[in-house]
Amino acid sequence: MLMRRAIPEGIATERTAGRRLELIGVCKRYESGPEVVKDVSFALEPGEFLTLLGPSGSGKTTTLMMVAGFELPSAGAIRVGDVDVSTLSADRRNFGVVFQGYALFPHMTVQENVAFAMRMRNRPRAECTRRAREMLDKVGLADFADRKPRALSGGQQQRVALARALVFEPDALLLDEPLGALDRRLREAMQIEIKELQKRIGISILFVTHDQDEAMMMSDRIAVMNKGRIVQIGSPAEVYQHPHSAFIASFLGETNLIPRGDGSVSVRPERIRFLKPGESADHSIDGTVIDGTFLGRQVRFNVSALDRRIVVSTADPAVYARVAPGDSVQLGWNAEDAQTLAAED
Amino acid sequence: MGRSERFGRPLLMGGALAIGLYLLLPSLVIVPMALTRSQLIQFPPEWISIHAFTDYLGDPQWIASTLVSLKVALLATVIACLAGSSAAIALQGRRFRGQAIVVGVILSPIVVPLIVLALADYLFFVQLRFIAAWIRIGLAHSLLVTPYVFVTVQASLAGLDPALARSARSLGARPVSVLRHVTWPAIRPGVLAGAIFAFAVSFDEVVIALFLQSPEATTLPVRMFTSIQYDLTPKIAAIASLMLGLAALALAAQGLVALRRKQPQSS
Amino acid sequence: MVAMSTAEGAISSRQRRRLPADRLFLLLPIAVLYGLLLVAPIAFIVETSFSAGLDHYRGVIETPLLWRVIENTVVISATTTFVALILAYAYAAALWRAKPVLRVVLLSLVLLPFWTGVLVKNFAWAALLQDNGVILDLLRAVGFDTGGLSLLHNRFAVIIGMVHYVLPYAVFPIYATLIAIDWRLVRAAQSLGASFPRAVWNVILPLSLPGVLAAGLLVFIVSTGFFITPIILGSPRDMMIANLVDFYAHQIVDFGGAAALAMLVIASVSVLVIAYQRVPKEGQYGTL
Repeated sequence: MLMRRAIPEGIATERTAGRRLELIGVCKRYESGPEVVKDVSFALEPGEFLTLLGPSGSGKTTTLMMVAGFELPSAGAIRVGDVDVSTLSADRRNFGVVFQGYALFPHMTVQENVAFAMRMRNRPRAECTRRAREMLDKVGLADFADRKPRALSGGQQQRVALARALVFEPDALLLDEPLGALDRRLREAMQIEIKELQKRIGISILFVTHDQDEAMMMSDRIAVMNKGRIVQIGSPAEVYQHPHSAFIASFLGETNLIPRGDGSVSVRPERIRFLKPGESADHSIDGTVIDGTFLGRQVRFNVSALDRRIVVSTADPAVYARVAPGDSVQLGWNAEDAQTLAAED
Repeated sequence: MGRSERFGRPLLMGGALAIGLYLLLPSLVIVPMALTRSQLIQFPPEWISIHAFTDYLGDPQWIASTLVSLKVALLATVIACLAGSSAAIALQGRRFRGQAIVVGVILSPIVVPLIVLALADYLFFVQLRFIAAWIRIGLAHSLLVTPYVFVTVQASLAGLDPALARSARSLGARPVSVLRHVTWPAIRPGVLAGAIFAFAVSFDEVVIALFLQSPEATTLPVRMFTSIQYDLTPKIAAIASLMLGLAALALAAQGLVALRRKQPQSS
Repeated sequence: MVAMSTAEGAISSRQRRRLPADRLFLLLPIAVLYGLLLVAPIAFIVETSFSAGLDHYRGVIETPLLWRVIENTVVISATTTFVALILAYAYAAALWRAKPVLRVVLLSLVLLPFWTGVLVKNFAWAALLQDNGVILDLLRAVGFDTGGLSLLHNRFAVIIGMVHYVLPYAVFPIYATLIAIDWRLVRAAQSLGASFPRAVWNVILPLSLPGVLAAGLLVFIVSTGFFITPIILGSPRDMMIANLVDFYAHQIVDFGGAAALAMLVIASVSVLVIAYQRVPKEGQYGTL
């Protein structure tokens, strides 16, 4: 109405494959305070699902906000394809964002929500409606087009949020802990849905979460963040099996930190076994069983060894019958399961 | 943060402060106006003098009016506290079918146009000549301010855990004791806050006091009102400053009561 | 043990039966008060207005003065509402987005007028706007030739005084609606391509509309009842409905007519209040 203008610069109007997102040495500090994001660099390849994983305060959300354009980096650059977008305002970037709580416009219908981005690009009304309907079809919500968001369930709102963010074919989707408020069953269902949607459409996704199970389930690569830095990037298998530090080892799943020489090694509970008499392993220690718990899909034992508590887990229920609290046992594991850890960051 | 967002902010704050100045302006000029030496309203005052205040304090008519206003406000506040508090206690907790209507009726004096109440009170009290004039005004005001006490007491009751009263009763306390030892300490700040506001509203009230006035019962605002229509004198500014001071005190007192309420309630 | 519980049971059942009576007893003071000072006086108005059948009503309705005064009231109230809403929206928006220190300042500035009486306010405005008052002095000092400009005893002064009075009433409903708006909605709009002004237009404005409507109705209702301000700051041409009732009562000494007028006022205000109750205020959408 008031402010019709030509298509704003920086916004892609044709279907590109989605350009590559790159962060180079990005830092953020607030008003002479401490740096909350320190020298973060990574690339999000087209079609890739990359998760920023870390505890609260690790800087992951701030990093996402800088990519989205809601925060200005104090240093470093953000590039999309060949374009430096570091100082571009959020409305000129070509990212779809899904916020915690979804932030659906409560005064608009589902369809109006989804059509919003097209309206902001000054497309003719017919095109906006058409694209919105197509998108709603893709997420299976065509019947809900004329409802208001508050009439929808949490999972449905999530899908509207996704549809809304995808309708203008952005270079990437940015998701800020969107599943945090959901109960576990819904959460797992939504994780699968998002993953499938991503595969189907082929969109790049930058995902922020503190839940390591979620990260491992959904990501092609995980960037683990702590205290403002990226401490390791790799596939879920890499990061899990070969953590670089004690922090990463204990943040992703459970682990035992066993001293060796000057440093320590990380050995996952499921890679330790109780050695039968006469059996040997690459590494072994003696210990006394404290207790054992049957958890359904696994059995967990707490074993006292080397003056610390070692956790051993197995999927074999027969072990539960064999090993009892108070028993003297020998714990063993293979050399490749002992991950040497770097000095603590 | 885009450019328009970054520029819009200080613009908005500046505009709001300008509006704030507009809101503050009357209060700002009253005190200086009262301190002028001349007999006319002057701003800025040429020479500081407190003759306006001494004029006021030395004028028996104005002092008489002040006393009338004080009596009226006191009467109105006492009645309002009694009626408002007991009503709030009565309606505490319970949810019965006509509740919305009852509360609506209790709050209605705020919505009834003042001129209607004023005329109605006049026609009513004309029948009851035996009631002293200032009492008539006090009674009329009490209706006006009771809703405020009701609201504040209701608010402080909302913070009262019903389990306290229940446990007192299960220990054998009779209703009167429950009121004294459980309810009253809880509503004390609400009653105080409501009383302060009720007093202020009654003290300032003009229209009803105008309709119910008589030679021996002219409240301070009524006398000011008549005086303003003829002449703007520093004496009025002096009285206005004092009223302003009272208002500031009342606001501060309310603030203190609210702060105290945030402290944990002692059992 | 058993004896104890039956005793307790006996007490509480006695209490339970007695409680309603206790509650009703507590409602007695306010019932008496309202009966004597609200119901009875209004009943007198009703009676007086009909004391000559419908003649009082007819007499009042057939005077042209009534219609001029109604027009005044509506025009003045509408103007006041319009101006107050614009100022109040800006103020409420600032309150919403202000940093804590500034917010306290702005809050105090808008709360203080609640405590100063209408008389103090009007007196101050009269003194400010009069011919040798502050404002004109200031304009002259800056070089403006104010000529025959009069800022007092006219419509302008009345509006200034009324807007000043109602502004706090307008700010709070709008503020309440604004703070319920999740700022993430603005961010979402921006992420979808809306510039900040467009985000405000498409998100904040629509969501704050219920608050604006509520504030507008409230201010309008309050404005129609003004009595003091038109007298002190206005001229006879700014006479409002409350002044007319006073005129009938004290100048013409026609209490029947005054009562009839009062009944008309009650009727109109009731309609407005009912409309106000029906306006969905903040929280219609809640935060999503």
